[in-house]
This record gives sequence, C-alpha cells and structure tokens, in this order.
Amino acid sequence: MVILNSVDELLEHIKEVQLDVIDLSNQSLLSMSSYIEKNNLEIDEDISTALQYQDIITQQLNATIEAMESMKKSIHRFNHAFESDENLANESLTKLQEKLTLTLQDAKEKKNRFSGKLVEDNTDTDEIEFF
Amino acid sequence: MPLVIFVDDSETALASTRMVTNSMPIEVKQYTEATIALNEIKAGMTPDLIITDLNMPVMNGFEFLQGLREVPATKRTPCLMLTTETKAELKQQGKALGLTGWIVKPFNPAQLKQAITRVLRLPA
Repeated sequence: MVILNSVDELLEHIKEVQLDVIDLSNQSLLSMSSYIEKNNLEIDEDISTALQYQDIITQQLNATIEAMESMKKSIHRFNHAFESDENLANESLTKLQEKLTLTLQDAKEKKNRFSGKLVEDNTDTDEIEFF
Repeated sequence: MPLVIFVDDSETALASTRMVTNSMPIEVKQYTEATIALNEIKAGMTPDLIITDLNMPVMNGFEFLQGLREVPATKRTPCLMLTTETKAELKQQGKALGLTGWIVKPFNPAQLKQAITRVLRLPA
C-alpha cells in the first residue's frame, strides 16, 4: 500500500536522524568530560547530573527507535499480506492496528522506565537503596 | 587499594562515575561490555566491589550478576546496580540475585562516593 510505504520511509528517516543525534550528543559530552578530567576540574552535582543526561537521552531515543522498528515490521507484514490477498485487507488492518497499539504502550512504558529520577512519579524514589 | 569495577554500555556514564571516583583511595576498572568484565573475572580478576548498569546490549546487569555468582571468587562480592530503572519488581529481582544495593541515575556524586565508602568500609 503506497501510503504505508511512505510512512515506512519516514520512520526510517526519523530513525537515522535519531541515531545521528545519539552519536553527536555522545561525542559532545565525551569531549566535555575529557576536558574536565584533563584539567582536574571538580564537578558539582548540577554538572554531574548534566553529564548523566546524555545516558538518559540515548536510552530514550533508543526506545523510540525500537518502537519505530516494531512499527516498520508490522507495516511490512501488513503490506505482504495485502499484496498476496487484497480480500484480507480488513483483517490485516485490524492486526496492524493492534500491533501499533501494543508498540505505543511499550514505548510509553519505556519512556517512564528510562527516565530515572527525572519523571515526576519517580521523585520519591530513594537515590540509593541498600538491601 | 580495593578494586572497583564499573560496567556500563554508556561511555559518558562511565566518565561521570570516573569523575567521582578519581579522588578516592580505590583502583578503578571500567567496561562497556559485561561479557568482557566477566571473562576477566573468570580469568582471575578479583574485584572488591562491582557497580553495573542494568539495561545493556549483549549481556544485561542481571545476567552479569548471575554470571558473577557462578564464579567462586565473586560469589559474595558486593554488587550495586546503577540504573535509570526504578521499578520495585526489578529491585526485588536484583535483591533475590544477591545485589547489595540499587542506585538511581542521575546519581548524586557525593552519595555515590558515600555508597562506595560504606560498602568498602573505607575511612570516611
């Protein structure tokens, strides 16, 4: 289906942009941390937190990349079913919708999981917990 | 000096921990892959404390912990999880695997220092 092929291409493009952003933010933070280490600069809590944001950015973007890959797979399956038998289109569309809903739920759950203390719901979480 | 190993697939996360530990009286080794750290432990490395991330490709923090507990030398080595995950079920899973503690990212440098000092019983 032509429209789904366009969505697929768009997802691929967004995925590539996000991978570039991960790479750039990683390089930028590594340069800064290398400068701090070389010059023996002491960092306070704010700077430490800022440096750690990169890890969270990477995990968040990777989670959305996984969601896009899952969407692309579902679209490919639908297209394959549609091409082999157009009469199955309605059934395949329902399946596609179900898959996309699951992908969205999973992506939202990961957004919360990978935010650490940055999410409001998690602010009560003890930073360090000993067992 | 006690040996502390850090395992995290994020190089910037490792750099952040390095900035905290460089003034401490400890030897630090860092790994971006748990499998490499585990192989070195199997080959004879005996860390006094292991601090690992949970979500990592190839081998995650729990799989790493399981592997550590199968090696006689690290069967009881203290191990802290340093992660963005905050779910109680995951903490319980870690506790059942013999985890010493759970640290949520982004961590406070002073508190990470205190945690290492406490586990290794270093002079405060």
